[in-house]
Amino acid sequence: MTAHLDSGAGPPDEYVEAEIHRLLTEDPAVAEQGITVVRTERALVLHGEVESAHRREEILRRVADRFPDVPISSDIGVIRAQAPTEIEQLP
Amino acid sequence: MVIRIAAVGDVHLDEDVVGRFRPALEQLPGSVDALLLAGDLTRHGTEAEARCVAQEFGGLGVPVIAVLGNHDHQCDQVPQVVGTLEEAGITVLEGDGVVLDCPGGRLGVAGVKGFGGGFAGRCASDFGEPEMKAFVRTTTESADRLSEALRSLDCDVLVALTHYAPVPDTLAGEPLEIYPFLGCYQLGQAVDAAPTALALHGHAHHGSERGTTPGGVRVRNVAHPVIKQAYSVFQLGDHLDQSEVSGVAAGGIQQPWS
Repeated sequence: MTAHLDSGAGPPDEYVEAEIHRLLTEDPAVAEQGITVVRTERALVLHGEVESAHRREEILRRVADRFPDVPISSDIGVIRAQAPTEIEQLP
Repeated sequence: MVIRIAAVGDVHLDEDVVGRFRPALEQLPGSVDALLLAGDLTRHGTEAEARCVAQEFGGLGVPVIAVLGNHDHQCDQVPQVVGTLEEAGITVLEGDGVVLDCPGGRLGVAGVKGFGGGFAGRCASDFGEPEMKAFVRTTTESADRLSEALRSLDCDVLVALTHYAPVPDTLAGEPLEIYPFLGCYQLGQAVDAAPTALALHGHAHHGSERGTTPGGVRVRNVAHPVIKQAYSVFQLGDHLDQSEVSGVAAGGIQQPWS
């Protein structure tokens, strides 16, 4: 059985999505422009990559504080910072 | 003549990130001629965050050349940020350039932060409200400064360093709707108006690595979320001995990096 969001309850998802997107950039504790908010049937999914696990946790905490009733799912990774294994030669 | 350049952008340093890049950066001396930083070095552009950048990227034993990004402007502390980076030996470019005397030749790097505006046929115009005209004039003035800086350098290999993108190619993966906030064609025009060998930029976290200007100059998006490693390394100049080459990709020849 598929769960459906009740379109009659709370603000339309599109506005929530927009507000989260701006929150992630404009909240000084987050300041991330590279996080994508994707609506699915079950939740708003946050995609993207950040520079530390601390930043990922802070994003989820801030969004949960601001939208306690919105189901949020996270797929945010921490970017690897290892030395490269190849060089690229350019003409 | 061979010149090797390491490059990364969008490292967004703060205290929680200090030390993550350093082990890989320690491999640079003796391996590359310079490290280029393509803007968004900090999260909010504070002096304290700039000190983190100085700690991570300073004293490396290779020249470090940077432009700032939009994040580095957020707290209106640009002079303090630039001062802190320069105290650590990092050269910060904004409408100017530098020439490095490398063993393989003279490497010229001209840099500017750049700005948005969009790409040919889908761009903002200098028309209408004062706010709109101010936006587009910021774009054109920035591109003009890059053009002048590129054409002023006397060097063997010329590299353009920006934060915003000069072509749409390297934005592939980003929503089309936000392309005008990610770069502008005028930066590409500036790159093409000089004998540029390579254009490096950041800013587009969901973009892609490789592109080319209409004039045929290679463009690389080195935003950290795109390259997913501490930095990328580019070799310019003479072709590698084919026996050294591990594989051939569309954008160039790959060889092992150690």
